[in-house]
Amino acid sequence: MTNPAVTIETVGKRFRLYRERNQTLKSAIMRGRRSVHEDFWALRDVTLQVPEGSTFGLIGSNGSGKSTLLKCLAKIYWPDEGKITHHGRMAALLEVGSGFHPELSGRENIYLNGSILGMSRKEIDSKYEEIVDFSGVEKFIDQPVKNYSSGMYVRLGFSIAISVQPDILIVDEVLAVGDAEFQQKCLLKFRDLRETGKTVILVSHSMQAVKTMCDQVAWLSKGALMAVGDTDSTVKAYTDSLDLKRD
Amino acid sequence: MNYFKEIFASRELLVNLTLREVKGKYKRTVFGQLWSLANPLAAMLIYTFVFSFIFRLEPAPGDPSGIDVFAVWLLCGLLPWLFFANVANNGSRSLVSNAPLIQKVYFSRVVLPISTAGATGFNWLFEMVVLLIALTIVGAFVLPWLPLMILTMVLLAMFAAGVGLLLSIMNVYFRDTEHLLTIVLQIWLYLTPIIYPISLIEVQSDQVGGLFGTPVTILDLYNVNPMVHFVQVFREILYDGRLPDGGALLTCTIWAFVSLAVGLWVFRINEKHLAEAL
Repeated sequence: MTNPAVTIETVGKRFRLYRERNQTLKSAIMRGRRSVHEDFWALRDVTLQVPEGSTFGLIGSNGSGKSTLLKCLAKIYWPDEGKITHHGRMAALLEVGSGFHPELSGRENIYLNGSILGMSRKEIDSKYEEIVDFSGVEKFIDQPVKNYSSGMYVRLGFSIAISVQPDILIVDEVLAVGDAEFQQKCLLKFRDLRETGKTVILVSHSMQAVKTMCDQVAWLSKGALMAVGDTDSTVKAYTDSLDLKRD
Repeated sequence: MNYFKEIFASRELLVNLTLREVKGKYKRTVFGQLWSLANPLAAMLIYTFVFSFIFRLEPAPGDPSGIDVFAVWLLCGLLPWLFFANVANNGSRSLVSNAPLIQKVYFSRVVLPISTAGATGFNWLFEMVVLLIALTIVGAFVLPWLPLMILTMVLLAMFAAGVGLLLSIMNVYFRDTEHLLTIVLQIWLYLTPIIYPISLIEVQSDQVGGLFGTPVTILDLYNVNPMVHFVQVFREILYDGRLPDGGALLTCTIWAFVSLAVGLWVFRINEKHLAEAL
């Protein structure tokens, strides 16, 4: 096994379920303390390693903690237990086009969004053509993005995010965007990434996509890690468990 | 120290977000950037009409500049105040209004309230240039005071940014903050010698003497307000055309650093949990 690109050690993430959420001063003062809550562990004791250069899939039913794990990886959530270490530049594609300003043009938004994703102006300058080209919106690049169709919006967002050229790319179900042609383009892009030795971590509900793309898969259920291993056996274990429930 | 490195590393993002605010705000308006002058101008006309024309308030003429124009005297205090109030207001909303971004992308969160302060500062700069022109027209010689004015502006920006950082976090946990703030700022405005000279407070304070048998006077309490000192320094530099009182400038400096340090510290503690709390 090659070096791990990402190491996840006994990671746990706790959410507070508020019976009464005190977001107002009045209720805080009336009750005398901040709030009444119960702990809910969305993730507990998850340990796994993602090998460098692999495409790694996370599968599981709704509410199994996949997205929470992804958000912990992307540093949006901080794990309450354990730690996550990674080597190399990381970029997360949890939602494309977040941070677009509707009144600004596509061009201005490329620079804005690029810098939110951590690119320097120089980097964006050098990749500008590529981004516009990949998104296929060059005709409308000087129009405010609020006039874009939802497809154009998403394509532009995706093109910017993919141009960050991370060593580790984290993707959450965003492949289900755009038309068939654009999806094809995306798949090719992922293959490129893989061939250049980049690590991709993705969440998907489409077992078909997971089977074609991933080298390894981790199966999560109710916040716990059920199995990690090569794609076919893990996906099979997962689908078998679903069949079992149905029977 | 690492924290400052992180902020420094996101300076480009800071600039871009600031530009987003500046450019986005007046997009598709006919007058564009000129709108940012409308608010202070309207406030100036109202206060001048009410306090100078109706109430006959007469602040002492600039010493040694000799300028005696109420509207200009007012603006020297009002523009810094409006900057501060806007940073507090916009800053308090900066995290909540960017919630989708915080929940989807990782970046140094501190750039959000700071870029709002930056965008507000950009408008303020524009206003101050207009004020300098007005001062020159009424006969002040402002050029030698520019470096001191810029220094004081930086200090006030630090103070305001610290308050903005603090309020942005408060507003995430207690959404009442931004509504309460509107009232607090209104009271605060009248507790600062902006539309009336501080001499009026001094007179009252001397008459009342020590409060409740203590040597603490009204003026002592009044001086707790940091904006009193900022307004004093701006007026001394711009309207009077003289070196500001050393004590006042020192007080401003201390407030600026304390506010920014506390703001950054509180922000740092809380920023990891923002995505869940929003």
